[in-house]
Amino acid sequence: MKPGKGKPCYTERDFVYSFHVGSQSFVLAVPLQFPVQENLDHLHGRLMLLHDLPCFIEQDLKKSLNQFVKEETIKDFDREAEQALEAVNLGQVDVGSLANTWMTAYTETTLEHARPEEPNWDEDFADIYHDLIHSPASETLLNLEHNYFVSISELLGERDVELKKLRERQGLEMDKVMQELGKSLSDHDVNSVAAQHFEFQQMLENKWSTELKQLSTIQKQEYQEWVIKLHQDLKNPNNSIISDEIKVQPNRFQESADSSQPLYEEHGQLEESFTIHLGAQLKTMHNLRLLRADMLDFCRHKRNHRSGVKLHRLQTALSLYSTSLCGLVLLVDNRINSYSGIKRDFATVGQECTDFHFPQLQVQLDVVQQVVLYARAQRNQKAKHQQETTNGSEGRSDKVKNAERNQSNLLPGEFYVTRHSNLSETHVVFHLCVDDNVRSGNITARDPAIMGLRNILKVCCTHDVTTINIPLLLVHEMSEEMTIPWCLKRAELVFKCVKGFMMEMVSWDGGVSRTVQFLVPQNISEEMFYQLSNMLPQIFRVSSTLTLTSKR
Amino acid sequence: MMAPLRDAGLGAFTFFASALPHDVCGSNGLPLTPNSIKILGRFQILKTIVHPRLCQYVDITRGKHGSPVKILHLAFEALQGLEYLNRHRIVHRALSPHSILLDGEGHVKMAKFGLYYITDHGADVDFPIGYPSYLAPEVIAQGIVKPKDPTQCERPLPSGPKSDVWSLGVIVFELCMGRKLFQSLDISEKLKVILELGCVDDIVTVLAEEHGCVEVIKSLPGNVLTLLRKCLTYHPSKRPTASDLLSDSAFAEISPTYMPYCKPASLFSSALRCADLFLPEDISLLCKDEGEFLAERSIEEVYHLWCLAGGDLEKELISKGIIKSKPPICTLPNLLLEDGESFGRGRDRSSLLDDTTVTLSLCQLRNRLKDVPGEAYYPLLGEDQSNVPHSGSNNELSTSNLPLIIRERDTEYQLNRIVLFDRLLKAYPYKKNLIWKEARVDIPPLLRGLTWAALLGVEGAIQEKYDSTDKDTPIPTDRQIEVDIPRCHQYDELLSSPEGHAKFRRVLKAWVVSHPNLVYWQGLDSLCAPFLYLNFNNEALAYACMSAFIPKYLYNFFLKDNSHVIQEYLTVFSQMIAFHDPELSNHLNEIGFIPDLYAIPWFLTMFTHVFPLHKIFHLWDTLLLGNASFPFCIGVAILQQLRVRLLANGFNECILLFSDLPEIDIERCVRESINLFCWTPKSATYRQHAQSLKQGSDSNGMSRSPASFPTEYQDSTKIDLGRELIKLSELKSEVSPRISAEDLIDLCELTVPSHAKGPTKKTKSSKPKLLVVDIRNSEDFNRGHIPGSINMPFGSAFTADGELVPGPASATLQSFKGKVIVSVGHVSTNAAEFAAHLVKLGYPRVCILDGGMNKMKPTGLLTVPSPQI
Repeated sequence: MKPGKGKPCYTERDFVYSFHVGSQSFVLAVPLQFPVQENLDHLHGRLMLLHDLPCFIEQDLKKSLNQFVKEETIKDFDREAEQALEAVNLGQVDVGSLANTWMTAYTETTLEHARPEEPNWDEDFADIYHDLIHSPASETLLNLEHNYFVSISELLGERDVELKKLRERQGLEMDKVMQELGKSLSDHDVNSVAAQHFEFQQMLENKWSTELKQLSTIQKQEYQEWVIKLHQDLKNPNNSIISDEIKVQPNRFQESADSSQPLYEEHGQLEESFTIHLGAQLKTMHNLRLLRADMLDFCRHKRNHRSGVKLHRLQTALSLYSTSLCGLVLLVDNRINSYSGIKRDFATVGQECTDFHFPQLQVQLDVVQQVVLYARAQRNQKAKHQQETTNGSEGRSDKVKNAERNQSNLLPGEFYVTRHSNLSETHVVFHLCVDDNVRSGNITARDPAIMGLRNILKVCCTHDVTTINIPLLLVHEMSEEMTIPWCLKRAELVFKCVKGFMMEMVSWDGGVSRTVQFLVPQNISEEMFYQLSNMLPQIFRVSSTLTLTSKR
Repeated sequence: MMAPLRDAGLGAFTFFASALPHDVCGSNGLPLTPNSIKILGRFQILKTIVHPRLCQYVDITRGKHGSPVKILHLAFEALQGLEYLNRHRIVHRALSPHSILLDGEGHVKMAKFGLYYITDHGADVDFPIGYPSYLAPEVIAQGIVKPKDPTQCERPLPSGPKSDVWSLGVIVFELCMGRKLFQSLDISEKLKVILELGCVDDIVTVLAEEHGCVEVIKSLPGNVLTLLRKCLTYHPSKRPTASDLLSDSAFAEISPTYMPYCKPASLFSSALRCADLFLPEDISLLCKDEGEFLAERSIEEVYHLWCLAGGDLEKELISKGIIKSKPPICTLPNLLLEDGESFGRGRDRSSLLDDTTVTLSLCQLRNRLKDVPGEAYYPLLGEDQSNVPHSGSNNELSTSNLPLIIRERDTEYQLNRIVLFDRLLKAYPYKKNLIWKEARVDIPPLLRGLTWAALLGVEGAIQEKYDSTDKDTPIPTDRQIEVDIPRCHQYDELLSSPEGHAKFRRVLKAWVVSHPNLVYWQGLDSLCAPFLYLNFNNEALAYACMSAFIPKYLYNFFLKDNSHVIQEYLTVFSQMIAFHDPELSNHLNEIGFIPDLYAIPWFLTMFTHVFPLHKIFHLWDTLLLGNASFPFCIGVAILQQLRVRLLANGFNECILLFSDLPEIDIERCVRESINLFCWTPKSATYRQHAQSLKQGSDSNGMSRSPASFPTEYQDSTKIDLGRELIKLSELKSEVSPRISAEDLIDLCELTVPSHAKGPTKKTKSSKPKLLVVDIRNSEDFNRGHIPGSINMPFGSAFTADGELVPGPASATLQSFKGKVIVSVGHVSTNAAEFAAHLVKLGYPRVCILDGGMNKMKPTGLLTVPSPQI
């Protein structure tokens, strides 16, 4: 108990106790702080000890001390209560708003008084799907999904062919034009041809993307209706027509891809696994993996796996509404869109298969954009409020900073979350905003990117994301400035920070076993990879192998 | 001691604690404790609130109507409950007809009385506590006070106990009228009406008029009406308290029919436990009650067994639809800012308060236990010990061979153990011997705290002693304690709660203050943790256990200058390593990895610093049965589990390995340490700084504690044949431990004529357990030696490169490898050197006879070899 801190309105009162020894009378006065926090038996024991009181007054002292505290406490309570009533009666507190505060509190927090729940399509669908995918109907479900996947693939195939044709034609045209350059045609003419070509390309791409979007929307709608129907049919199996097995549509596209690229992404993937125990006294076991792979490999459906596609789909589908989700960290710039770089690649991968559960990526991003604006507004309001109360100079500089930048953009260390059901091994994607600072060699554990990682791990805890993929070097692509020392330094920092966060996580969720996968870019050398894989067990204490033979 | 279950059932309800905003740190730089943990800590004290008018989550029938006399009884009983709560400084605040239940006999049992208290007066939850119609006017007027910033809680006083009196008044009013108040109004209107009652002269009449039941009011008996008027007094200062009302004249008629309730004295209290015991004239009356046996067990026991039988509160609540959890993927936030604040998810409907109480079905438990015979509930504890332990079925006997972890989860087995231990503990200290005997089998987790106290011999007025220890006056150690507590076993919810921290502080301070010759060393906090955890609601017992434990196992470890104690301890420990595992000892000595580098926290905290609580419990269950030298064996057992890695590694790796000790299989560790203990001659672990038993006997009566695995050696040690004091430097120079002449005689099974012990028991195996190697020269040997010993003169025993010189004697020695080998000489130095050579050669269990041959001479046990043929 820290006296004086915490609760205010302490009042000190003297407890006075008088007693007689023979003809002498004594008076004991003890200053007591009200409200009394300490245990009265302990207080009584201390009084007896420190004041050297005779034992024959022990019981009486105890009684009167208890009585005194009881009476005074009641008086305090009464006074406070009367003050509150008085304030209401005098109109210092508005009865109406007071009653309304109470009412809001009740309606917002208790089921009894809350507004009835509006039916939530998403959650109902989630329940139904979760039931079905864990039933014998899962086979049918996956076959259907696969067939949809095939038709999308076909569409994409057609698009690619058409785009290729266009480009070839345009290439020929351009060649012709270039030959005429300086003869019959000027630079201006060449430019206008190029512009025209670009325009055609755009038009064609737009046409295809509209078509793709349309197909996805139709697929999603059909699929959802079908799932609901299947669910109803399964409930009353008499009039079952729909639950006939849906046969897998042979995938011509896939076959051809198979023959041309037998080992598409397997080449160059390196992997090392570790088991670690964390914690000083109570230890939790975690799995760590170091991989040399592309982050998007966890999103792409692997076409070369004949049975693998369905297998992965089943695993991912089974756990979609479960409490063991898979997530990955994507490093993005400060704009919320999918126009460039890894954002664009990710969006392309997302289009390869229709998402039957969650809104399309662009819709999710639009929502995020709205939320960002809302969050900024909230923050500004709060800052303004604080500024009014403190009126510090610090707030003003903040405001200047705020005004300078675009309110709709992210800051380093912030991240947004998207949910997907159509990626191969991922349900949740954390889009962590980083700036060019991560390319420099001297970032510290206090860097926003690292703090972002911490927050991501925290969300993983609260929302049961048990497998998470992290770009170990905090970059997706290697570049020239990333030398060997740079890589080692960066890896050490991230390993150490993640270890610290994982130890923290134990106190957040009570120690759930997780899998953390560290990814390094594909174009890193094999030698470098093994250097990193040697570093990992030194930083995380790797558990020894289990000895199965008895000791003696 | 605890209220029996009788006809009660178990119930459960749930609520959500407020989430803390996001990463906020407290003033000490550590993360804030989550509200749920705070609530958990505060909740513990509620377990001690036992009163016939209060229930512990018991759901029974509800009462809505009744005759005025019945109502009066009801009001009186409810007030009794309130008064008891007030005495424990608890305000109900959520009083409503839902929370006043009636038991099978129609008596009141109040529920949910702890909610306001455990949530820190509502601060830790989002929902308001209480029901709108029953809120007292001052409660409404004070409004909902929430601390804006959790790091500093500036707020006025919480609701007082008199607000409950108002709520009770409203309930009684409704009972009289037979209808609910303000039913047609919405919440804010209800509250306004209640507030406006202040301007009314006669609240009762006005309320009656508004609800159209003036006639009923008129027909009420006078005393009921008075009671109503008193309860429904608008101004709290004029409203009586629960205890005022209990002595009110309105209850003049019925109050004499109630006996005042007094809590039975608990175990380890200084009061006479049998003081209130009375036997009816006709004993058969007691036996008449042919109810179910389980119903006579306490609620705590039944709940514990319910959990063992597969009960899971959360699952029950989910299956009843009280907890509705959404799939996590549906509740993910959209955006997180750098400081961790999240955006994009609305309030989750599943976190709304649904205070329905769910009845927990005891069917599964009853079914599980239906084959347990009635005798199992009442085991006989007669002097004849043969029939005591396993009066149960064969089933139980087979269970007792299973691993401890399984036994602790077996419902029937635990029932048997709990019943047995409960009865034994009630007979403590009279049945102390039996407790020791049974504890050697295992200790039921539910009664571990009390059993440990019994094993440690705690007795006397512990509560009074604890109360009279000054735990408040600041002392210089406070700062250190304050730093250590938030780092001590904080993975545990109980110990990491603020309540847990406060208790830690008090118990530690009480120990420091009451042991003026000792000081607080870091590690004492860890030592305190298991006792505090097990006796969370009984600080005095935790303190008493700790005070009894330290002198027994860590005598003088907490001296201001404890280096001589610790040095001696560690030296003995390294001798024990050499004794049990010469190979490991050689390796560790070679790389210079001495116990000082790793073992101090082990022994100073008796391993509480290195293991999590659940492992400490199993380790200490055995440790408490052993004597002060048992920890050495635990230490060696731990090293042996890490043996392979230690042998393969050098100094740096070993340091790293121990800086974060790997997982240890604790059951194996316990098993091996018992085995090591049995191989260790009693005097090998002699320490001059250990607690001398004579001194200990008068302080806490521990010397009479029944023996551990072997008999406690100090008891039987005779001065002349015992170990003698040697200097620390001398002790340090010796690789192998010394044993006393008495131990030698004992181990050789020599008959000592001078000690009239009677015929020694012949053990079954006639094979000698030990070999005495006489290293004197052969002339001395031939003049007289210990029977069965072999002669290997020190000077010629070893070759230049340290190998044994081959010969018949060394062949015998080789054949005894693995048995205890005692090196005996004239003087210690040679014997010690000889022993060191043997350890180098990998001989285990080598020791030295303390005092050499001179000790043996006076015993008259030496023989002269017959001339060789």
